[in-house]
Amino acid sequence: MTPIGRMFHSLGIFILKTTIGQQIALFFRTVASLFASNHNFKNDSRNIILQTYFTGAEIFLPLFVVAMLFGTVTIIEVITLMNKMGLADIVGDLMVVVIIREMGPILTAFLIAGRTGSSLTTYIGSMVINSEVDALATMGINPIRYLVMPSVIGGTIATIVMNILFGASAIGAGFLVTKGIIFITGNAPNLQITWGYLSSEIIKALTIQDFVFAIVKPLVFGIIITTNACYQALNIKRDIRQVPKATSRSVITSFISIVLADVTLSLFYFIGYMKNLSTLI
Amino acid sequence: MLDEALRLEDIYLSTNELSGTMFSVPRAVSYFENIKASESNEDRPLIAGANLTLKLGETICIGGPSGKGKSAILRMIAGLARPLKGHIYYFGEYIPAERLTALEVANRQVGYVLQNAALISNLRVIDNIALPLRYHRMGTDEEILKKVNMAMDLMRVRNFAKMFPHQLSVGMQKRVAIARSWAMDPKLLLMDEPTAGLDNYNRRNLLPLIDNMRTMFKTSIIIVTHDLMIAKELDCNLVFLHEKKLTAPHSFDYWLRSDNEISKDQFRDLQAVTNVF
Repeated sequence: MTPIGRMFHSLGIFILKTTIGQQIALFFRTVASLFASNHNFKNDSRNIILQTYFTGAEIFLPLFVVAMLFGTVTIIEVITLMNKMGLADIVGDLMVVVIIREMGPILTAFLIAGRTGSSLTTYIGSMVINSEVDALATMGINPIRYLVMPSVIGGTIATIVMNILFGASAIGAGFLVTKGIIFITGNAPNLQITWGYLSSEIIKALTIQDFVFAIVKPLVFGIIITTNACYQALNIKRDIRQVPKATSRSVITSFISIVLADVTLSLFYFIGYMKNLSTLI
Repeated sequence: MLDEALRLEDIYLSTNELSGTMFSVPRAVSYFENIKASESNEDRPLIAGANLTLKLGETICIGGPSGKGKSAILRMIAGLARPLKGHIYYFGEYIPAERLTALEVANRQVGYVLQNAALISNLRVIDNIALPLRYHRMGTDEEILKKVNMAMDLMRVRNFAKMFPHQLSVGMQKRVAIARSWAMDPKLLLMDEPTAGLDNYNRRNLLPLIDNMRTMFKTSIIIVTHDLMIAKELDCNLVFLHEKKLTAPHSFDYWLRSDNEISKDQFRDLQAVTNVF
């Protein structure tokens, strides 16, 4: 090995010894396992669909409730506050920023991390404890391909779909609940709100970037959640008490990584604000 | 044509290396050249300087007191643990330590029957046996089904094909695990306590199966066992793990009649019986 080669080699080994490096390596191995020579499309697609169903369909009800109530609160507060301050024309902008751009993806990701991430960690972690993963590997079955790949792809697809459903149900069901509150309380919040007004304001405020980020954000979050959950599970020491520890570690690190990734992705918007900063001042 | 299935050269193994290879800390290339003897107190050496050569089609039994690292040797050969130092040759091919993973080893048609069977708990018995065949696409669905049925018939688990592993007894799980390994047509089969948990009837049925495998399919087999009579019934050589080293292979009768320390430990009862007659 040449000196330069040795330098790169030791750098690579150093990166691979860190947690984040191993997680990135696990993700790339997952992607690489898709193109392994002995791919079995039928089995893989069945596993992925099962995982998508497991991640997506079974979480829809709690997600719907959270989205509905969150949407209600946002609609009532934003419209009341903006009317009071005389800024009624930016209601749509604010709704888009709060529901579609920021809180929607984050709340969806939190729900999925809390439910799917933790169950993935316990599922794969128990297999590690029972040395089923060892048995898979000694049969020549790549555990990354058999266990991690369907989870990552299925979980990511489900996160994207759930994010879109979250936005839709927050605005749609939130509007209905707001109407219900107005009807029951005899318009106590003192709101004049119609579907035509709300929808036209929101559609006016939507930009092409919002549509792109409605896909990109949950994509990144889904990859982070599932890769992290699988990584924590596969690194469990042979001790049954490590499974709950790994599960809570998986959820907590997922939360932190999601927020960090969200801030990083939102820099894209911040740059736009920064350019306008001089004009504002 | 090489006639050796496995060669271990000057193997060192310690307890820290047993946690698995797939996601353990990566090792630099030329790790062995810079190795320092492990100094930490938690790291207990299990094997120091073991050598073993296994010919193609040969069967060997590894015996020894429990807790001395017999299963660890098998885990290491299967690629689930990495040696601290030393070389392992599979069918004459050396796999360097940084690439020694269970998948690499399994690609060389090495089968491994784990001590606790380790069946996939959410799959039925028939799917458990068919899983590796389907994954590697070894034939069409009918061929796989035929092969699986044959394996189940051989191990007498056909009646339990639709059951889940937790519904089976330990011995039955073991038979399913052996059937699963057999269905893969391994060239080198590692068995960890194959007869533990089996009754006398099934044990006697298992031994001819092992015998058939080595005569018909020329499978090389390594058996880790406390049941030393297997060596006599299969007429194969016995190796003992003694003082962190593997002894030279000798026949059952040699060990029975010899007068060294291992024989006194392991064959005391049998020697007493044979001396009477």
